[in-house]
Amino acid sequence: MEIRIDNLTKKFGEVVGVEDLTLHIDDGEFVAFLGPSGCGKTTTLLTLAGIYKPTEGLIRFGERIVNQVQPKDRNIGMVFQSYALYPHMTVFQNIAYPLKLKKTPKNLQNESVRQVAGVMGIGDLLDRRPGQLSGGQQQRVALGRALVKEPDVLLFDEPLSNLDARLRLTMRGEIKHLQKNLGITSIYVTHDQVEAMTMADRIAVMSGGRLQAFDTPEELYDRPKTQFVAGFVGNPPMNFIDVNVSQSDGAYTAKTGSIRMTVPAARGAPAAEHAGAVVMGLRPEDIAIASEGEVAGEIFVVEPLGREDLIDVRVGEHSFILLANTESRHRAGERVALQFDMSQVQFFDPQSERSLLWRQ
Amino acid sequence: MARAELFASSKVKTDEIQPTLQEDFVEALKLAGISIVVLLVAAFFFSAVVGPFFALGSVEETVTDVLTRLALLILPYVAYISAASVARRYTFRATSRALGLAFSCAILIYALISAGHYLLDYGVFAPRPSLQMTLSQTDAGIRIDEVAPGGAAETAGMLPGDVITAIRRDPVDLAAFNKRLGQSELDAPLRLRFLRDGEEMQETARVVLVSDKELGVLLPGLAIVLVFTAIIVFLPGHWAPYIALVGLLFPLLIGYFWVIVATFSYRTKGLVPLDGNDNFGGFTLKNWESIFAGNIAGLEFNIWPILMTSMAIAVLMTFVVLLVSSMAGYALSRMDFPGRRFFLSFTLILHGFPAITLLIPIFIVLLRMGETPIIGDLIGFNTVGGIAMVMVAFQLPLGVWLMKGFFDNIPWDMERSALIDGASRFRAYWEILLPQIRPGLLALGIFAFIGGWNAYIIPATYSIGTGLSNLPVFLNELIDETAPVDWNQVAAVGLFQLIPIFIFFIFAQEYLLNIYAGGTKGSS
Repeated sequence: MEIRIDNLTKKFGEVVGVEDLTLHIDDGEFVAFLGPSGCGKTTTLLTLAGIYKPTEGLIRFGERIVNQVQPKDRNIGMVFQSYALYPHMTVFQNIAYPLKLKKTPKNLQNESVRQVAGVMGIGDLLDRRPGQLSGGQQQRVALGRALVKEPDVLLFDEPLSNLDARLRLTMRGEIKHLQKNLGITSIYVTHDQVEAMTMADRIAVMSGGRLQAFDTPEELYDRPKTQFVAGFVGNPPMNFIDVNVSQSDGAYTAKTGSIRMTVPAARGAPAAEHAGAVVMGLRPEDIAIASEGEVAGEIFVVEPLGREDLIDVRVGEHSFILLANTESRHRAGERVALQFDMSQVQFFDPQSERSLLWRQ
Repeated sequence: MARAELFASSKVKTDEIQPTLQEDFVEALKLAGISIVVLLVAAFFFSAVVGPFFALGSVEETVTDVLTRLALLILPYVAYISAASVARRYTFRATSRALGLAFSCAILIYALISAGHYLLDYGVFAPRPSLQMTLSQTDAGIRIDEVAPGGAAETAGMLPGDVITAIRRDPVDLAAFNKRLGQSELDAPLRLRFLRDGEEMQETARVVLVSDKELGVLLPGLAIVLVFTAIIVFLPGHWAPYIALVGLLFPLLIGYFWVIVATFSYRTKGLVPLDGNDNFGGFTLKNWESIFAGNIAGLEFNIWPILMTSMAIAVLMTFVVLLVSSMAGYALSRMDFPGRRFFLSFTLILHGFPAITLLIPIFIVLLRMGETPIIGDLIGFNTVGGIAMVMVAFQLPLGVWLMKGFFDNIPWDMERSALIDGASRFRAYWEILLPQIRPGLLALGIFAFIGGWNAYIIPATYSIGTGLSNLPVFLNELIDETAPVDWNQVAAVGLFQLIPIFIFFIFAQEYLLNIYAGGTKGSS
């Protein structure tokens, strides 16, 4: 089912939940809504579900405008963060409830529930109550209940945030696999950019009720169109510093205080055209500690992550987050030199926070 | 290595911590001392601070006096308990040490308290009403053995050898005489009839207050104190709440016990059923028979319509209150509409409104409604429907608020999930939300049912002068119209009225336990 959202605005009294959102989702696509809490992503999801009615704008499922269609008539399935299982019903009754409401014959209900339970690996739990299940099992029941009526659209509202880290990893893979197999158009709300990056075909980054970017994970990572997207996508986040970019003899240089960095012409030219200071963005993996380099600094703190160390290096008043091999065994207080790989550098307009490299 | 040292040192420490008998003794006395001081301060506070404060405002009250005396009454027992609580830590490890410690403390405290009583003329040494003569019981009456020189009896002209037979015209034996004397106040005149040399005479003696300060009275007290201390030392700790509970409930349980005994006997004295000759016995079923026979002391009635009226009011009320409250509660919890806040605060005010003040206006409203065709037959004056409607109206504010609170506690996601699964709003309310608030529905249902079943003032008012009555109204008629009132009969009707409530609770209790054991678990 193709979903087209045009100029959607949702207000609660004076409070704006979502503002002027336009988004076209293709049939069978897996889209993630990514953003910090309060950015309007859940509001958008609930508007798509029909729980909220849009204040302005149009929502189309295929060719049908569903603005005023009741949730029960939209043929959607939804998985909630709290699972929202019905505690007074058994697992079987929980999964069968959507079918019961559709007045599906009993034998067909039975068949579908057992089939879905089999796929979800909860076939032996059908007589239990939700209270007797673990978090992961409840999650599977919730997913089974959303899938059993063969919905046109699947909605996920942070379904993995109540699970422990290990289970989250497993369920992430399972949900993605299931979605690809069934080919159901899915929308997945999350504030965890790793989940969004790993699972989604395209990510809609939202902030303050507005859509910041809507693109594939690779595009968002390599060619962020706003500073917000650049900072939100990627872990650890991108380093930002204010610099002045100037050109002399065809070579572009970014300067701030004592720091001087040579910028490739392709990226330096648009930045140099901008009058005054610009915001330069560098990802942690593009900075390395070297025995000698362009910039000297002091290690402020070392956070071991296991596979690598997260190191905060202070250069004057600036701070650079970077990742280093654990074997190098750096210590806080150590004086080091930094080497920058400027081929992936980003530049943003400090006023509009838009990218100077990638115009929309 | 460091760990081992740590453990080693801690072990040594626990050995060292074992206090000596002397330290325990001091600790126990210190605790007892603290509790004595606290209670003395409390007694002083009530009698010398709060009491005069009330007196300033010319408030007549006995509360401060009662509290003062209560503090002084429990003072010794609290002291024994505090001292014995120190000994309890040895109860099952070193019994002799525990008892020795507790007993020695108890004896010391008893001695101190007794000395205090001796000096202050308080407690066992408090002055008692007396006529200052020694008496003994004989076949003829109470013989005077000795008369204290210059005492009250001698002043009245009593001589040793006189035999007292009566106070005024009431014949007395020694026990009755002492009881009468004990209740007399200072200077109260007692007119004694007595036989002197076979001749009947009478003299009036005036009561004096005497503190005899005989130390012999301390021995039984000491025995009680030691037994009490031993009980405290050996009492399993988890019994304490039950003992306190039974102690507090005792007067109530006695009341229930009387009701049950009374319904099965001709007459009772206290809790003892008696037959015609004042002997124990006289059990009967006649109180119950006459309920069903429909005749109590000449008052003719048929119990079944009365029972049905009660049942109809209670059931109707339960049903309507549950239905309206849960729907209104849902709307107030989940929907936003103009006037919602006003409605919420207004119902709260209504709940605090005294219903009695509305009796007369509602009476007139019901009378007028009774004149309307059809509606009047359903909910007009002198109909079960009318009574139930008024009672429902008074119960609704509480019910609506209660239900709103329960709905507020159900996560929104539960309801959204139901809507997305394909339920209509009503179906989500009925099939998903209502089962979540079963405990609340049950609690409100019980309130409503008991309220309707025991309703008196409203049924009595709105069925005045008619044959319609429910059990409480009937019970009142029984007291009003039968003379003399047969209280055993009244008790039987009262117990009869309780039967459905008992049955209701037996089933409801099981259901409640079920709900709490597994009903709404895992709703998070």
